[in-house]
Amino acid sequence: MPLFRALVLGPLRSNALRAIVTLVAVALGVAIGLAIDLANATAVGSFQTSVNVVSNKVNLQVLGVGRGFDERAIVRVQNVPGVTFASPTIEDALTVGARAGDPFSGEILRVLGVDLLRPLPGDAAPATSPGDVSPPAVDPWLLVNGRGAFVSAALAERLGWRAGETVRALAGDRDVTLRVAGIIPRGTVGIDSSVVFVDIATAQEIFGKVGLLDRIDMIVDPAQLANAERAVSEALPPGARAIRPKTRTDEISRMLQSFRLNLEALAYVALLVGMYLIYNTVAISVVQRRPEVGTVRALGATRGAVFRTFAGEGALVGVLGSLLGLGVGAVLATFSVAAVSRTVDTLYVGSHADRVAYDPVLFVKAFVLGVVASVVAAAFPALDAASTPPAITMRAQGFETRRPRFAPRAALAGLALLVLAWACTRAPALDGVPVFGYASGLLIIFGGSLCVPLAVAWLARAGTTVAARRPTLGLAAANLAGAPLRTSVAVASLMIAVGMMVSVSVLVSSFRTTVVTWADETLLADLFVRPLGLSDASSDTHFSPTVAGRIARVPGVARIDTFRSVMLPYRGRITNLFATDLSDLAVHRDLRLLDGADAGALARSVPGTTNVLVSEPFASKFGVRRGDVLRLPTPSGTTAFTVAATYNDYSSDAGVVLLDMKTYRRLFHDDSINSLSIYASPGADLVRLRSAVLRSVLPLRIDVATNRELRELVVQVFDRTFAITYALDVIAIAIAVMGVVSTLFALVLERRREFGLLRYLGVTAGGVRVTVLTEAAGIGVLGGVLGVAVGMLLALLLIFVINRQAFGWLIELHVPWVFLAETVLLVVVAAVSAGVYPAGVAARIRTAEAVRTE
Amino acid sequence: MGVVASVRRRALRCWAARRALPARAVATLVRALAILAPLALVVPCNGVHAAAPSGTIATPVGFAHARVPWRFEFPRDHGAHFQFQSEWWYFTGHLRAADGRRFGYELTFFRYGLRPGERKPARGQSRWRGNQMYPVHLAVTDERGQRFVFDERFAREALGMGRASEGALDVAVGDWRLVGGPVFRMRAASANFGVDLVQVAEKAPAVHGHDGVSLKGSCATCASHYYSMTRLRTSGTLVYLGQRFSVDGVSWMDHEFGSDELQRDQVGWDWFSIQLDDRREIMDYRLRVKGGALTPESSGSLVDARGGVRYLRRDDVGVEVVGAWRSPRTGGVYPSGWRVRVPSARLDLSLVPVVLDQELSNLTGGVSYWEGAVDVNDAVSGRHLGIGYVELTGYAGVVPH
Repeated sequence: MPLFRALVLGPLRSNALRAIVTLVAVALGVAIGLAIDLANATAVGSFQTSVNVVSNKVNLQVLGVGRGFDERAIVRVQNVPGVTFASPTIEDALTVGARAGDPFSGEILRVLGVDLLRPLPGDAAPATSPGDVSPPAVDPWLLVNGRGAFVSAALAERLGWRAGETVRALAGDRDVTLRVAGIIPRGTVGIDSSVVFVDIATAQEIFGKVGLLDRIDMIVDPAQLANAERAVSEALPPGARAIRPKTRTDEISRMLQSFRLNLEALAYVALLVGMYLIYNTVAISVVQRRPEVGTVRALGATRGAVFRTFAGEGALVGVLGSLLGLGVGAVLATFSVAAVSRTVDTLYVGSHADRVAYDPVLFVKAFVLGVVASVVAAAFPALDAASTPPAITMRAQGFETRRPRFAPRAALAGLALLVLAWACTRAPALDGVPVFGYASGLLIIFGGSLCVPLAVAWLARAGTTVAARRPTLGLAAANLAGAPLRTSVAVASLMIAVGMMVSVSVLVSSFRTTVVTWADETLLADLFVRPLGLSDASSDTHFSPTVAGRIARVPGVARIDTFRSVMLPYRGRITNLFATDLSDLAVHRDLRLLDGADAGALARSVPGTTNVLVSEPFASKFGVRRGDVLRLPTPSGTTAFTVAATYNDYSSDAGVVLLDMKTYRRLFHDDSINSLSIYASPGADLVRLRSAVLRSVLPLRIDVATNRELRELVVQVFDRTFAITYALDVIAIAIAVMGVVSTLFALVLERRREFGLLRYLGVTAGGVRVTVLTEAAGIGVLGGVLGVAVGMLLALLLIFVINRQAFGWLIELHVPWVFLAETVLLVVVAAVSAGVYPAGVAARIRTAEAVRTE
Repeated sequence: MGVVASVRRRALRCWAARRALPARAVATLVRALAILAPLALVVPCNGVHAAAPSGTIATPVGFAHARVPWRFEFPRDHGAHFQFQSEWWYFTGHLRAADGRRFGYELTFFRYGLRPGERKPARGQSRWRGNQMYPVHLAVTDERGQRFVFDERFAREALGMGRASEGALDVAVGDWRLVGGPVFRMRAASANFGVDLVQVAEKAPAVHGHDGVSLKGSCATCASHYYSMTRLRTSGTLVYLGQRFSVDGVSWMDHEFGSDELQRDQVGWDWFSIQLDDRREIMDYRLRVKGGALTPESSGSLVDARGGVRYLRRDDVGVEVVGAWRSPRTGGVYPSGWRVRVPSARLDLSLVPVVLDQELSNLTGGVSYWEGAVDVNDAVSGRHLGIGYVELTGYAGVVPH
């Protein structure tokens, strides 16, 4: 401990700025990781919420496919021995405040329709004596027969709804009215802020599901669960299945797996960058205090004690930084949850995640990761410090000068790692998780880092030769060369941050271009009819059956295509079933068929049959090929579908099974549609056609988008999805820039004597300033250029290995050269700016004082 | 803990906290409780968020009340009366298996209306619309094993899950069902106990009160129409802990209907049914108000061997509590053991519970009550004179009807 105080705490106090920067970097890394973890956990956990609202004792559920299942199932199910409670449930959504022409307008209200008259069994009595007690101020009749609804306090406040009021909302294309029977008090556990409770009768009517249920939530005597599950299954209509809530959550969690993993990997890159900063900090303190280390070794301190001292520095920074990070992460989680759940809602399945679920386990995980990463990062310089022989030298630069052949050797090792990284890309995913892909990414980062010292040495040599006539530049180059390791660490951390940014940018740019091209090729209709306002994957927002017919008869409409999409379980995951008219496949060619499938042949063989097409992500996720048979649950029983072709699709990474509308209607007994597209007659005025279409369905309310608007919408949704990715990028860069500040500052402080001497020898303050800034620029240029190189490698990895394996996306490489050039420029500017303060400090070093210390 | 459960619990406490407010009848409360159960969400503590003015709703809308004379006709009046808000069919009885083992049982079907009448959903409307709710309670007392088991069911008027018919008795919740009159059949089976019985009436229905009106309090609607089948010869099958017993015995049936029956300050009641070996029967209910006093409307009936009914005023019957039993589950302290005097009938009886713990506890909505088989002996000589059932409410948890 005295050693720790002397070698670490003391200097730490005098280098408070650097210590703080490092601390903040660790904190940010931990915070980001935690925030993303919390967001993911909240999104997944929220699927349990809507079940828990009924009761957390629910241990068996009945789920249907498509539009739901016959409500009479509940009569049979509740007589199954062991079933003590069975609640009929409909879960859907209403929209309020949506405006035509704005697909992001309005608010989605999650509606839970349950049997509001049905009490839970065996609920404990209040511990009070009975007496005259007021009855509730709600008329139960209103709930059952009068469209009564309970809304959350937050929702009532946002929308200005008051108890007793009659309110309007949009269910698909229909205006429905509800009577606000009561307000659910704020802070009621598990009730999210946009929830509306109605009786099952009301839910069936407003969502057009009379006679149908989405779910039955059951409480079963745990001792009889297995038997009851079997008996319930036998009592169910075809297509419905009995399932334990945990299994359902697992299915959804697997559906989100790739999305979550990718986000998490990205998040922890920030921590990785932070690790380099810690390495840097500790390495600098080792270098600065080598004389003291030599002295204490001479005085009898063991290697172990020295190691523990410097590793302790890393641990101290790790613990403090991680603690800070936990706090910051908890705050950031509010934003990350919003961002993540929005993406999940839009692309996958409606979550109830509007409140962060603060899982203590995740806090512990983030803390442990932060501390372990810090200690590991500090271990290398600490080992080096421990290897200092007793009383070796009073010279500060010992470590740097002792290993002249370090840079080439490191580069060789780095090269080996890169080769290994390449080898990893050949390995397949494990259970859908691109484990080797992620490993390859780490190897690229470490391999690239090991090449940095050589690059620094080269740059320094080049700088020395080129700038022989400019003493300040030469000095800068010499400085870089003089402390290659420290410089390398700064460059490497910058390189990783830039690399991450570049890789993600290249990925997003490639993905975006691919999606835009795909949208251009496949969105061919002139107008698209969709529900008004916001929609998400959870609500089965659909049109009234009359809509398609009315629109088809509008003059100027040549032809319409209708679409229906439902979610289906397949092999323990949730996937999508799309239905549309496939008989005109050959005419429109709005599908990009893969493997040379023939549209004409498909147009003959698919319509009306159980031949289906599967999307590329589906094929790769489930490993199916043309000719394979898929057994999917339908309300007509489990049906065997034959894969007739695969096609290129970017609408869902959960995969799509595409079947003909006629087949769908026959098997699912469901004639509802979610959207439709309109092909106009030649020469039709689209603006007028659009208003004619809107008028034709009145009083139903729909939204009509033009071809261009829909394509824009596709891109908008895409960009919203990646917004959080950009945010993570920017944070990593910020951390890396902090690293540059810290490094330069250390270099300056360490070379007070040199700068003082220079001033003494006649170099102006400006000259000193230029020297430092040049060094900064050197670090920036190297970090930027190497970052782009590493980033490109990572991008290739992301596009062709990780995304391919995790999501099944086929993405065409598209490099945003201009953006990359801008990035390098930006990084250099950032690095130079980072050098401003240290440069100022260097320039202010007083000549006499500096020389006196010499 | 489930959201609903937790919120409900809080809501119930809220209610308890609001006791100072003018309260409605206990019956109303219970109906409200049953309704509220899944959505205690409904009841914020300050109670002002709700649609109707606080503390008012649940006033029956358009229901008939039972304070006007009623001419009973059978079998019509065995059936349901949808013009009234609440109704129940209460069967209790003593059964003896072939090996001499003695059991008690209770099977009660309740009906609560949200609005008068049955509601048949119109075309295009949800079949979950409806006006009626049907809770059921089933209990079996095992005298030899000194055990008591109970279960409950609930259904609303939807998809035929809960139903009752007018004109003749036919009430069902799922596969628990009660039909008949004058011969009654009942079937109700829980996981490992249940009854499947046939009951033959040995006497005509005994109508309580005056002019078919059984007063329950001083308020304008505080009454019910109430009759009992006081001696039902019973046979059939009883399943207890998975074992089937062929049983014979004697049952008692109460059928009562009305709207908004109890007065506000009532806290519970004690109800006695006694079947003497000399073929006389006694029914007596004692309505307690705050402070422990009995309402003047507390009363009973004495049925003679030929079926003649004599009205018993409150002071015609003297009931003295001789013991107490504390429920380990609810903490409620119930009277346990009574001395019942009916001087006008020269009766001085001792009522002894065959099992101390015959409490149905923590039912849906937090309802708990004691409903148990008793032996009826001569208070002086100790000679066995008959059998009986006692119902005690308002000693723990939420009061049932």
